[in-house]
Amino acid sequence: MTDGRTRRIFVEMVREEWRMHSRLFRGGHFGLFPVLIGLLTAGTAWLLVTTGTDSRTLFAGLHALVFVFGLHTGSIGFVGRDTLQNLLGELTLLVFSARTLPLSQSRLLGIFVLKDAVYYAGLFLLPIAFGTAIGTYGTAGVSAVAGGGLLLATTLTLTFVLGLGATIAALGLSRRGVPGLAALAVVAIAVGVALTGGIDVVAYTPYGVFLAQTPTRIAATMATITALLVVGAVTFDPSEPRSSRTVGPAFRRWCHRIGDPVSTKTLLDVHRSAGGFGKVVFSAAILFGVTAGLIDLAGQITGVSPSVGISFGAILGLSGFTTYNWLTQSDDVDAYLVHPLSVSAIFAAKFRAFLLLGPVVGLAFYALALLRRGGPVGEALVGAVLLVGVACYIFGTTVYLTGLSPNEFLFDTALFAVFGLAMTGPLVPVLVIGFALAPVSTTLLAALGAGGVALGLVGVGLYRRSLPKWERRYRRE
Amino acid sequence: MTAIQIQGLAKAYGDVTAIDDLSLSVAEGELFGLLGPNGAGKTTTMKVLTGQLVPERGQVTVLGVDPVEESTAVRERVGILPEKESPPSFMTPREYFHFVGAVRGIDEATVDERIETWADRLAFSEKLDTMSTDLSRGQQQKLMIAGAFLHEPAVVVIDEPLANLDPIVQERVKRFLREYREAGNTLLITTHDVDVAAELCSRVGIMYGGELVADVRPSELSADERLLDVFLNRVDATGDRR
Repeated sequence: MTDGRTRRIFVEMVREEWRMHSRLFRGGHFGLFPVLIGLLTAGTAWLLVTTGTDSRTLFAGLHALVFVFGLHTGSIGFVGRDTLQNLLGELTLLVFSARTLPLSQSRLLGIFVLKDAVYYAGLFLLPIAFGTAIGTYGTAGVSAVAGGGLLLATTLTLTFVLGLGATIAALGLSRRGVPGLAALAVVAIAVGVALTGGIDVVAYTPYGVFLAQTPTRIAATMATITALLVVGAVTFDPSEPRSSRTVGPAFRRWCHRIGDPVSTKTLLDVHRSAGGFGKVVFSAAILFGVTAGLIDLAGQITGVSPSVGISFGAILGLSGFTTYNWLTQSDDVDAYLVHPLSVSAIFAAKFRAFLLLGPVVGLAFYALALLRRGGPVGEALVGAVLLVGVACYIFGTTVYLTGLSPNEFLFDTALFAVFGLAMTGPLVPVLVIGFALAPVSTTLLAALGAGGVALGLVGVGLYRRSLPKWERRYRRE
Repeated sequence: MTAIQIQGLAKAYGDVTAIDDLSLSVAEGELFGLLGPNGAGKTTTMKVLTGQLVPERGQVTVLGVDPVEESTAVRERVGILPEKESPPSFMTPREYFHFVGAVRGIDEATVDERIETWADRLAFSEKLDTMSTDLSRGQQQKLMIAGAFLHEPAVVVIDEPLANLDPIVQERVKRFLREYREAGNTLLITTHDVDVAAELCSRVGIMYGGELVADVRPSELSADERLLDVFLNRVDATGDRR
């Protein structure tokens, strides 16, 4: 690559990513996001460590979240083409340009991964790493913060690339017919067997390197990442033409059951866009896994088992945010306003679709958690109330702040800060009770149950109160 | 009878004036064309007429209903074809018509009948069960046209009706629009294509810089006068005046 094209493509891809985010998230506010992320993570890390949370729990959770972020980012560029097309119109990314330019697909894919790693490391992972290091090692001096931050930034970036590579390799294999699917199944089974057989798989991931920088761990981690990227480069072709999809009419059948055409359209959008209802289940599964991991870790470290009902209920309720994102991913207000629909009717339909999908999926995982881990009946009931209450609260807060554009949260600094405060205010006390005060007393349970109902009511109230605002705004822009 | 009445309408986006003191009326049974270059204010006018936008000033009525105060009531009576909108990506054309029918309260048998008529008229029968996101722009435009007429409204507002259509379908759409008007309905189309306006419209309003700078009946132009010349003269004159 001596012709400078690689560098040029890399620069153009970074520029493309920046412009895409600027357009999606309305420019200016997006640029301040890393600063806010750094401040928030520093504050959160300090608060958690000060209130007795073991720093290992914090670091493990951070690596898990970044891994999921990597998995998700890999899918945005490829699986989510439909979604991006809806948001941005006809879309052609540079990574798709191998068919029109004299560039090899593997080179483009390699540059795409490098671009994502550098872009997201610079904008998000570095602020997260150094924010966490300041919050955790702040009292140990500048060199401890610098060393810890650098190590964390490195392993978080590798974790992100691991997630990204896993998505691309899995997508590539899944599109290579039976042999590809078989290879994918073999890898999944091997990982499953290793996990259940007591092999410390995590030791050979970037998180393992964070814990101990031994040559074996470093070599194994780099080999895994390289293998995933090579498999991805060999098997994945993002410019593969999409075949024309024909489906039988489902709208009327669904509408007769759901009772509202806009709710029906919304649920069909989720069902038929990339990932289908599976993406809602996946989002809830991630929260389920994170909660399970945190409960186990907290139990090991403190010797006190957290409340299954309260912990799972409160955290699974957070899946309401991603559910609302999926329910609005194909929305354009102008498209609704050519029909005799008021803005209030659109939001009412969204709320109905939300209730049919979000809390139901959350409660399914909640039931699974209770079946596997058990717990007092009282805590189980209050946990279910909390789950629905938190989900409705998130719905209401999100609608109040962003209307039909919840994605604005992701990179709009001011909105994100307000949303963060609105969430941490009521949720931190609930989680402290769930993790640190189990078994929960009857008095506290009653308070939590009442709190869950109140959160749900506040959510519905916020959503209804915001309707005149959105009616005005959508008809004046 | 007046179908559309606009008086002293003004609308701005921040510092940019989109419509400036616009007044016009369209009688029932007219096929009125709003002709103008890009940015003249045509689409904004259409959005105000259909209650999608609230103006800063002015009075508007469509079939006697104020779209600012009763936007949903206006959209119940009016058919709308916006230029930039596509049908919902994850619905098939058949499902999109089912959706429009459900939103507008049309009974299912009638919707089914009209789907067949429109699929035949615009030649998209074989695409009825294809996901809209996989249709060409032309096919999507056919779908949006049919969707605007599905409830057979007395007034239809259409932004660039022939965009993305091949010449054969363009002729079919033109013929249909004329027939629809002859049946006593009112159509307001916006276009920047002078030939389309001259050929289709019974009356043409020329917009420039948010103002109505001319109101012309193409059939009353003299033999040596073309709509294109009128358009260019008025636009140039308005540009010079500013």
